[in-house]
Amino acid sequence: MRAAAEPQADDLILSIREVKKHYPIREGALQRVVGHVRAVDGVSFDIRRGETVGLVGESGCGKTTLGRVIAALADPTEGGVHYNMDGMMSRIDRLEGKAARAFRRNCQMVFQDSFASLNPRHLVIDLVGRPLKVYNEATSANLIERVVELLEQVGLGRQHLYRYPHQFSGGQRQRISIARALALNPEVIVLDEPTSALDVSVQAQILNLLNDLQKERNLAYLFVTHDLSVVRHMADRLVVMYLGKVAEAGETQAIFDSPHHPYTRELMAAKPDLEADANVEVRGLEGNVPDPARPPRGCRFHTRCELATPACGWEVDDVVRWLEDAPGMFEHLVGVERQTDFAARLAFDSEEAAGLLSMAVRSEQVPEAMRAAMRRLNLDGDKVEIEFEDVGEIGLTARDDGRMAACVLSPEEVASWKRT
Amino acid sequence: MLDAKHGGATVASVRDLKVHFQSKRGVVHAVDGVSFDIRDGETLGLVGETGCGKSVTGRSFLRLLPVPPGILAGGSVMFSAHEVCTGCEGTGCETCEGTGRKAGQDRSVNLLGIPSEDMRRIRGDRIAMIFQDPGKALNPTLPVGAQIAEVFLQHRTDELIALAGLPADTVGAVRRFASQSPRLGDGWLLSLPGARAQRRRVEEALATMVAGALAETQVPNPAKLMARYPHELSGGMRQRVMIAQALACNPDLLIADEPTTALDVTVEARILELIRNLQQRRKTSVLYISHDLSLVRRISDRVAVMYAGRIVEIGTTTEVFANPRHPYTRGLMAAVPGADTPRGRLAAIRGTVPELVDPPAACRFCGRCPYETSACRNNDPFLEAITPSHLVACFIDHPAPSGERPNYGRVTA
Amino acid sequence: MTDTSQSRIDAEGMTADTAFRVRMRRLFGVLQGLASNPATVIGLVIIGLMLAMAIFAPWISEPNSPDPYQMPRDWGAVRKPPGTPGHLLGTTNEGGDVLYGVIWGSRTSLQLSLMVVGSTMIFGTIIGSIAGLVGGWVDEVLMRIVDVFLSIPELIFALAIAAMLGPSFGNIIFALAVVLWVKYARIMRAQVLQIKQHDFVDAARVIGDSKLNIYLRDILPNAVTPVTVQATLDMGNVVLIGATLSFIGLAEAGIAEWGVLVSEGQAGIASGRWWASTFPGLMIFLWALSFNLVGDGLRDALDPRTEGR
Repeated sequence: MRAAAEPQADDLILSIREVKKHYPIREGALQRVVGHVRAVDGVSFDIRRGETVGLVGESGCGKTTLGRVIAALADPTEGGVHYNMDGMMSRIDRLEGKAARAFRRNCQMVFQDSFASLNPRHLVIDLVGRPLKVYNEATSANLIERVVELLEQVGLGRQHLYRYPHQFSGGQRQRISIARALALNPEVIVLDEPTSALDVSVQAQILNLLNDLQKERNLAYLFVTHDLSVVRHMADRLVVMYLGKVAEAGETQAIFDSPHHPYTRELMAAKPDLEADANVEVRGLEGNVPDPARPPRGCRFHTRCELATPACGWEVDDVVRWLEDAPGMFEHLVGVERQTDFAARLAFDSEEAAGLLSMAVRSEQVPEAMRAAMRRLNLDGDKVEIEFEDVGEIGLTARDDGRMAACVLSPEEVASWKRT
Repeated sequence: MLDAKHGGATVASVRDLKVHFQSKRGVVHAVDGVSFDIRDGETLGLVGETGCGKSVTGRSFLRLLPVPPGILAGGSVMFSAHEVCTGCEGTGCETCEGTGRKAGQDRSVNLLGIPSEDMRRIRGDRIAMIFQDPGKALNPTLPVGAQIAEVFLQHRTDELIALAGLPADTVGAVRRFASQSPRLGDGWLLSLPGARAQRRRVEEALATMVAGALAETQVPNPAKLMARYPHELSGGMRQRVMIAQALACNPDLLIADEPTTALDVTVEARILELIRNLQQRRKTSVLYISHDLSLVRRISDRVAVMYAGRIVEIGTTTEVFANPRHPYTRGLMAAVPGADTPRGRLAAIRGTVPELVDPPAACRFCGRCPYETSACRNNDPFLEAITPSHLVACFIDHPAPSGERPNYGRVTA
Repeated sequence: MTDTSQSRIDAEGMTADTAFRVRMRRLFGVLQGLASNPATVIGLVIIGLMLAMAIFAPWISEPNSPDPYQMPRDWGAVRKPPGTPGHLLGTTNEGGDVLYGVIWGSRTSLQLSLMVVGSTMIFGTIIGSIAGLVGGWVDEVLMRIVDVFLSIPELIFALAIAAMLGPSFGNIIFALAVVLWVKYARIMRAQVLQIKQHDFVDAARVIGDSKLNIYLRDILPNAVTPVTVQATLDMGNVVLIGATLSFIGLAEAGIAEWGVLVSEGQAGIASGRWWASTFPGLMIFLWALSFNLVGDGLRDALDPRTEGR
């Protein structure tokens, strides 16, 4: 494993810098843009030669979108992916001509759905031989030999050359995808959930294969997955994403030994190992992932975090979200006059309802941290004025051993917390 | 521990179930002689990989097989509704011989043989099912409340009428309304002043029952949720609605077919906890079908491992996970990456699942098993007990009729 | 594919010709799928017979006028019933041989359907592909034009164009081509939009293949199935609409065309001379029916859900 010291320029392959990918939400007949889904919202990390970086998170966290941006299948809205070309870092979406082709050759991708990622009308020789043809790497005479060589490296053989994808099992199809990705001898391969659709026994075959290939060819992998046991087995370093942002990053073993972000902890606690004590209590997360078009302020995880503090970015939307889930309250809310995200006047249809809310937000019904973060709460007839502490973005902070986590709590505080 | 507590009472017993599929290449033996019992109040986990027949087995309980190409080639699924012993209220006493069930004649029915009308009465009432994809199993054009209400209208008409404060002998349009079997002209009848009031009361009673069913699954604000359409809900919320619908009538048996596979791990953990709690409180038996070993281990009392249309090993969860005897079970467990597995050294099972077209009389694991011998290639092993509750279909633990016996000491290439 | 056939390939060694054989086997599989449907087989047989009739028309029924597409007139034998020597299916009011009209009419119909279907399929596919690939305002403009075309009933639209241009068989072909391309544009656009989403298109982009290659190798081959089915169905429908137009007099009088023959013969039906209309009418019916049968069979045989299983 690599030391956390200055990355050697020639060691670095890709440097992802403040990448954002926003998708416009359009509405109405004129398709006016009414907002943006912030799928990826400012993510930075590096990929170095021969290492595996694991990108983990749950559905909707932006990991797949980020993988596509890195493979140049989508352009970032802001920020960029920089590629080390002969010691010079250059943004991949600004590369042209020969340089663009060089990047393309050196960054390949394997998709989750092996059936959908292989053209059903092409034979294996067409599929695996295609990259060689595109770059004139093989003459028609030695194409077959080159393809057979690649197939043998992934555990297939000459007898599979003239078959269609549907004639293979899922594991074999994923081998074909890997052979295609290897054809141009790339430096880095983006693996987008490559084993999620496979059975465990086959998954083990593919993971072993990926490891063998990495050792032989000094490949770098970006391993995108939701499966923690797989990523622990495969990755040297880990990037944990939640709602478009990095919650925590660092060396895999260190993160598994002591997560510095409560979300990482929850993720690990939700899926215990086969070897773990069978009687250990497992509990998932409350609530839903918030809308990525309007992510929570402060720490994005504060709405579901059991450890949330008053400094985590409580805001007016948290009150509205709470109202939605409270029986018989939301119906009485008639308007929200927002001064900022942190201060607003909530209008109700009766003084009674307004009174009920101002009582409720002072009581045990809402999280203690939310109450503590409230700077002002005025009941004014059928309106309730509410103001929270103004909290800025809670960004990644550097910890020991090159680790990063985006949490206001110290590692000790995260570690010492017990479920209530 | 379960054996002692629940005696011999079983809610369902599958015997030699065979389901075949007609394909271009021949008859596929998708399920080929599967036998197991589901006991009162237990969770039986059914694990196996893609194409092993676990889903088909689960679906045959409710006869939800595509016919054709599916063919019920033999066997039976006996189901006996849970009638609680009046003496002890299910805790087990002398009269019921500790089973907690009403003593007397055997009331079990063969689910594969009863008329469709009877099957309809059982479905959703005595046996319920939850599916992997709640997005597909829920009707997109109806609010979720209306979909849960349907279950009550189909199976709980009397209860509904009682809750509405109407006399139990209520007949005519109102009863038809409460049992979802309207006739021509009922719309007009129900608009008459007297009937309209009764109908309102039935509707209110229905809403109460639906809200109650939803509240059981710990959703916030059930009254608001009832009016929502499935597409407006998250995957986890939809699965909760499905569970509410499935458990609405307090079924004796719940068939859960990979209910959390499409969900995120943190949501999955919540749903598992929910199923476990509801199951324990209501003493429902659950057949939990999944490919995920760690999950099955967490939720099940007993586990059955399926491979290529057969059950290869069945026992209590502790027995199977602490002392797996079948090479396939061992292989599956070793293939899951653990904390200490050295990188690139996962124990993969070589090869792929065999095609089940006219399988030969040999162990189905032949060709992938590291321990196979001539005995395995020439004889078909069947489930035999190694402890009273742990059964294995492998010659490693039983004498083979012929050939050299395999053992764990020797590995064949 | 069985394992024995695979080992045979191994034994014979690898040549480019192996790939060809595998592809032919796949084609053969589709044909087998077609052959397993009796209705399709009946359709194919009828089409085969009618094609043979069109190809061998000069030999089966020798023309005796400079323009073989004009009905020969035998003024000495008008209104003869079927079975008359030399006029097996009888003659028309003007002494035209009905059998000649039926046989040469198949040539006219084949010309009509090939020209209309060929041109509309190519044009529609190009327009639909551009709309689907480019997207944005180009797609918006093209699809609004398509909507305008689709909002007018096919027959009335074709009738209006043909009537405007004056009665001629060539104008009927032109009118039908103008009307029918929009269907292909619609189908192709939907296909392109759907296939564009597939991972294998992204996989080709990751390799770095050119946009043209991706279109030609990944998108187009996977998109053509519904276009092919529609084209087969249209081979029949076009003759039906074409016959309708010539029936109401939008083709030149006296040409060997089934619709014209039906039109010219219909006056005689009331006085018992049924043959002049019936035989050409039957041909129109058989032509449309057989192509529809084959089109439906093709749809099933090419269905990706059943293909290769």
